[in-house]
Amino acid sequence: MASTSSSEVSHPVVFSTQTQYPLPTQKFMIPASWRRYQLSQLVNKALSLTKPVPFDFLVRGEILRTTLGEWCAEHGVEEEETLEIEYIESVMPPQRMTSLPHEDWVSSISCQESGLFLTASYDGNVRLFDYSQTLLQTVPVHSAAITSATYVKKNGENTRLVATASHDLTARLAEISVSPVDPSPSRVVASLHLHTGPLTGISANTSGSQLLTSSADGLIGLWDTSIPKSDEVPLDDAPSERKKRRKLDEGQEARPKRKAPVAVLKSHTARVSKALFTRDGKSAVSAGFDSTVRTWDVENGVCTSTITAAAKPFVDIALPHSGNTVLAASTDRTVSQYDLRAAESSAVTAAITSLPHPATPSCIAVPSAGSSEHQLVTGAYDGVVRLWDLRSAKSAVTSFKVWDARPASGRKILSVDWAPGVVGIGGEGGVEVWRVGEGDRLPAQTS
Amino acid sequence: MDKPLTAEELDLIRRLQEGENPDAGYDPYEPTVEWFTGKGKEEIMPLSAAPEPKRRWVPSKWEKQKVMKIVRAIRQGRIVPNKPKTASDKPQFYNVWGEEPANQPPPPPAPKPRLPTHAESYNPPEEYLPTEEEKKQWEETEKEDREREFLPQKYSALRLVPAYNQFIQERFQRQLDLYLAPRVTRTKLQIDPNSLIPKLPSPSSLKPFPVYKSLEVAHDKGRTRSVSISPDGTWAASGDENGVVNMWEVVVGKVVKSWKFKGKVGAVEWCPRTDVCFLVVATEEQLHFLIPPNLPTSILVATQAVLAPSQLPPAPATPSPVKWQSTSAAASTSDSAILIISLPSNSGLPRQVAWHRRGDYLATVASGEGQGGVWIHQISRRHSQAPFKKVKGTVQSVLFHPTKPHFFVATQRYVRIYNLAEQKLLKTLQPGIRWISSMDVHPLGDHLIVGGYDRKLCWFDLELSDKPYKILRYHSRAIRSLHFHPTYPLFASSSDDGSIQVFHARVYNDLMTDPLIVPLKILRGHQVREGLGVLQIKWVPKQSWLVSAGADGQVAVWCS
Repeated sequence: MASTSSSEVSHPVVFSTQTQYPLPTQKFMIPASWRRYQLSQLVNKALSLTKPVPFDFLVRGEILRTTLGEWCAEHGVEEEETLEIEYIESVMPPQRMTSLPHEDWVSSISCQESGLFLTASYDGNVRLFDYSQTLLQTVPVHSAAITSATYVKKNGENTRLVATASHDLTARLAEISVSPVDPSPSRVVASLHLHTGPLTGISANTSGSQLLTSSADGLIGLWDTSIPKSDEVPLDDAPSERKKRRKLDEGQEARPKRKAPVAVLKSHTARVSKALFTRDGKSAVSAGFDSTVRTWDVENGVCTSTITAAAKPFVDIALPHSGNTVLAASTDRTVSQYDLRAAESSAVTAAITSLPHPATPSCIAVPSAGSSEHQLVTGAYDGVVRLWDLRSAKSAVTSFKVWDARPASGRKILSVDWAPGVVGIGGEGGVEVWRVGEGDRLPAQTS
Repeated sequence: MDKPLTAEELDLIRRLQEGENPDAGYDPYEPTVEWFTGKGKEEIMPLSAAPEPKRRWVPSKWEKQKVMKIVRAIRQGRIVPNKPKTASDKPQFYNVWGEEPANQPPPPPAPKPRLPTHAESYNPPEEYLPTEEEKKQWEETEKEDREREFLPQKYSALRLVPAYNQFIQERFQRQLDLYLAPRVTRTKLQIDPNSLIPKLPSPSSLKPFPVYKSLEVAHDKGRTRSVSISPDGTWAASGDENGVVNMWEVVVGKVVKSWKFKGKVGAVEWCPRTDVCFLVVATEEQLHFLIPPNLPTSILVATQAVLAPSQLPPAPATPSPVKWQSTSAAASTSDSAILIISLPSNSGLPRQVAWHRRGDYLATVASGEGQGGVWIHQISRRHSQAPFKKVKGTVQSVLFHPTKPHFFVATQRYVRIYNLAEQKLLKTLQPGIRWISSMDVHPLGDHLIVGGYDRKLCWFDLELSDKPYKILRYHSRAIRSLHFHPTYPLFASSSDDGSIQVFHARVYNDLMTDPLIVPLKILRGHQVREGLGVLQIKWVPKQSWLVSAGADGQVAVWCS
């Protein structure tokens, strides 16, 4: 090696990082033939880490996948030019952990409760699985398809309040028992009546006191999660016997109370795809098919700012933990990052970062607080889950295919959720769970 | 092996090099041998015996007269012997190239004579020599009929070639050629071919338009003949030849409701009204009105009131062959049809259902016998009528005008426009298509596109002419379906070649500006089955998305 390196071209390189492993600011002469592996070894040696940590290297916002010399030749960088290379902890190759078979499509999955998977399916059932693939609960919440489900809060030690949104124009609150030993009967406690179009999403704030529903009729409903003693919305006059019968059946058991919204947020001119609370719970962010991302003052129920994109019907949004940006997936095959502070009401706002996908991205998940805030996971209709780093927008850091056995047109992913180390994927083929991210280093990072 | 040259040989080489006579014994300067003249060779005998004439020694009188004439002239001063030279006597030069060039183009160059070929050689290769039969044939043909005016002949050496006996004729012909050469200069057109291409905006500036297939909904068996999108753009319904109608979400592609009918499904259409929500499915001789599930109560009640009113309107005076049967609102479910219209028997499968914009009238075109198969049904009066007693040719497609009470009827060759209020024929359009397959009207109502099985797509400006404003021939197989986007300036055509073509079509309010038609995108992805490709396309309202139903049983959503 020494004999060749003397004749070899080398580049001056300055390393920078935002991880917990900073190198002293110093110029390194790196041989052009080095790849990620050698660079990673260099950093490990320079820091004399006891346990080797693999790193990935970002050269001008692009992950280094070739040798340094090839990268320089491709981008026309001179030998003498000093390269600034940022390094990030590399992501372990994702591993498939389990699959939870479902008969119907799974529209929503949540793994926010550790040890549990909450899935909502188009057959109207909410299911609860534990990590050993055991089906704990099947709760028939809706008679029509459920499009979204979320945990709201803990109701005691073993029960959770779960909110679901459905095609039947209502959202419902259900108490679900999570205890595997004593499965007390789960029940639907309230149904939320506002929308006149199928609901597209439901989300709760961090404390579980408020809910946001979004619908195809362009409205966003704001609800509290208290269960009223009596119906707040009168029963609609039964137009057919079928409905009457159903209501009678429900009436025999404890019929869910009919709740009215606290406030209705109106501004969207087309279907609203998703509405989310920000971390502090004071404001909300929503996106819809009218190519806008709107920020709302929840207390007053007014739209405070609007980001208008050009012909980008948004299908899903996610809020990274840093709080100032929003990630939005649109049907023009991009996931865009917008700055919420740069919102202007009239002019078209340009995205900060745009992540190109080969198929329609349908869902976004950001990691839980504390881990890397530049990462996100997207699921697309081609059945590929991609892990992105926002600093390297050209291509995904890593990607994996789910439901390999199914035909290519039948692998649509409808929902992803990312809990520490675990990514749950719900869609046409049921649910798959993959181990993604820090993996082994997780305990080291939390300590 | 070296062979030394002898002295004679060296001398020979030297002479050759110096250009001398190679023969050393040759003397170029031999003394002249006087054979006939010279000293001692004087002639003794004269050649003629005639005596010397007198004029040989008498001075010439005539010469003297001539001289005297000059002498006299000199004396009188008429001739000046040493005339001084003047400037005008000097030779005059002028600049040949100094003149202004002539305005007219230079005379055309003479036509060039044909270059000789191998056959005209004095020693042509054997294959050019004529055989005996050819020679005989050449001699027998008339001079003017001969292919060439000579017979190739072979001479072993050029000096054996005799004088050319056709020389005069050939020169004459050549002069004739030069004389008769047309004195016209042909000017070459200096046109940049790129300047002939019309200036069209680039497709990237005309976004959004569908560019990729987002998702597919598969029908297990049978071709999907028809697809329709609900007016709010949330739901799509697609029907196949197996009798299955699926209702699914446009964004997700999940089938939420499926109906099964007997026989093929010919057409599926959502009612364009927004205060009620139902769809019409056309099967063999029947129209089924279905209410989708999960409707808000107010809309459900309104829909049931429209389709199954508690008080039926009075029956028309003349009994109609079309029967309306509805289930009562209370007994109706979303699983079965709330209203069934039974067309008269033998009317066959309705191929098309066309709604009026207000959603009260719908027209159906059936393939069967009588009245051209066209019926117009009015929901509020629960009444059906056949608008035409007889129609020349089979009706292919019908349309309601979006704003005026006009009705478009496309027969095999012509498109006729009727005024329904005044009940008269307004106009007959002649697309020049052998067999019309489909048509659609621009949402503003002034423009019509007509597609044919002979691959042509005609754009009509209804204010302008009966003849097409533009004919587009971009598909390689028959056109099956056309659709204008209700809000975006887009239209699309689908064809049996399995492709969908998306066009930008901007129509100006200004009557002087022609509509701008820009081809944007060819969408491929449908399989061609048994010669059938994409059978119907529909735009999603409010979005620049396209939904297409193919003969391969797939319904695809194309997103921008």
